[in-house]
Amino acid sequence: MYNPDHTKPGSLKSRFTTRFLRALSKIHAHKPISSSSPTEMFQRYQRIKAAADKSMAYSVRSRRTWSRAMLWKLRTRSCGRRSVKTSTIIKSQQAIMKKTRHEKQNENTTTTATTGEDGVGFCVEEDELREIVPGGEAMDLCNLLDETAHYIKCLTTQVQVMKKIADFYSL
Amino acid sequence: MELNAGTAGTGSHETASERKEVAALESLQFTDEIRRLMLAPATDNASSFTALLELPAPQAVQLIHSPDSVKLTAVHAPTPNVDDFKGSFHFPFDSGLIERAARFSLFAGDGNINVNNKSNSLEPTSYNSTANLQKPVKSEPAETESYQALVSDPTVENRSIKRKDREKVKGSTKKNKTAAKDSSDDAEKLPYVHVRARRGQATDSHSLAERARREKINARMKLLQELVPGCSKISGTALVLDEIINHVQSLQRQVEFLSMRLAAVNPRIDVNLDSIFTADSGSLMNSNFSGMVMPMMWPEVQLNGNRQQYPQQSQFGAFQQPVWGREEVCNNYMTPENSLLSYDSSGNSASLHSNQLKMEL
Repeated sequence: MYNPDHTKPGSLKSRFTTRFLRALSKIHAHKPISSSSPTEMFQRYQRIKAAADKSMAYSVRSRRTWSRAMLWKLRTRSCGRRSVKTSTIIKSQQAIMKKTRHEKQNENTTTTATTGEDGVGFCVEEDELREIVPGGEAMDLCNLLDETAHYIKCLTTQVQVMKKIADFYSL
Repeated sequence: MELNAGTAGTGSHETASERKEVAALESLQFTDEIRRLMLAPATDNASSFTALLELPAPQAVQLIHSPDSVKLTAVHAPTPNVDDFKGSFHFPFDSGLIERAARFSLFAGDGNINVNNKSNSLEPTSYNSTANLQKPVKSEPAETESYQALVSDPTVENRSIKRKDREKVKGSTKKNKTAAKDSSDDAEKLPYVHVRARRGQATDSHSLAERARREKINARMKLLQELVPGCSKISGTALVLDEIINHVQSLQRQVEFLSMRLAAVNPRIDVNLDSIFTADSGSLMNSNFSGMVMPMMWPEVQLNGNRQQYPQQSQFGAFQQPVWGREEVCNNYMTPENSLLSYDSSGNSASLHSNQLKMEL
């Protein structure tokens, strides 16, 4: 019952917990909570959220597209105004990808019109999924579903750990 | 020539396959040979053609159309009667049978060639009984004479394709599952790979690739359905995707929510992280902790009322205002707690809390 961090020592849960607690302590040490203004609270919230995402992405390393994309996003966000140019470039790239994907979908739907199946893409939901999953713009549907599955797994771990920590602290 | 082959008498199946067209001949030596050959057990599929000789024609035709080696080997059970054979021998003129015979004779062995050539001389004499035999039999030696596996295979393949088309027309949709197996079996025998398409579907490479891709996508969707709770009941890919999207969104919102909570909560003590993951002595600290909990609880009691209306999900819009208000209240109460805690032995409490956290996690 007193297992430290689940069954496996090197599991995703333990890695994430370590990193996140470290980041949390750093944030709390950096600024004590004496100041209770909403803006500062908000800033702190943002920092903690970024720390949570970052620690999760680091726990996954670069093995997954979504973790790479998330790390990249966090890095560019922290860089600030300098990255405006790169972000516009990225956005244009993404727009191009979307266009080519739509073209491909149109082609495919015309060629496979004979079959009574769903066709290649699910259009609306697929685009939504791409927006939600980090790094989902540049993937085809097959890989996107893979990434989504792994992302869901990691998100649930994250939520579990954070819930436990929050419960613990607010006791 | 057949007599020579017969007296050579190895019982090889090549000679037997050549004998099929002259089985109608009534010579005693011949019937003895046939009897011997038929009684000999067939070793592999190529020799199963001898098994066909035992059957009456319709059954043989049936066997051709459903190529299961099991059926053919089971045929050996009944003892053949050559007399019946002689009288009622009625050669099935199925092109499928012919091409299969050609295939077997081809694959039978090298010694076939001479036998084939010699058999040609006997053609005009042996086919007086049934004129119908001439056409299929002549085509068969013509094929075997060339004896180039590559050349004959296209013809065989064409015939096999025709056979498949006929089977498709018959509407045997249940063969979809066995189609893959058949194609793999055929691939072993012939250098061409036959991929059997399902009924009503195109067979060009594009649609095949498309189909493979779609199957991959469907497999992954099934996995996702298992991951997302409550998704397995839903049928239809669009709805499942909607559920998945909702689930991911709710998880992301939960993370935001919890990070808000954590931002507001003050870690009452400096948690020594190194001690968290070292050896646990949680049971020791537990008793102390229960003693400590009581003084901490009384400021919490007043907060409990606020806390209960703390929803886990939803209503995030209206949520903002009360949250910040509550947290401010909470903070005011935190400081006396801090003082309380620092009252106790801080070192003890630090390791205590870290152990507690470790336990919970």
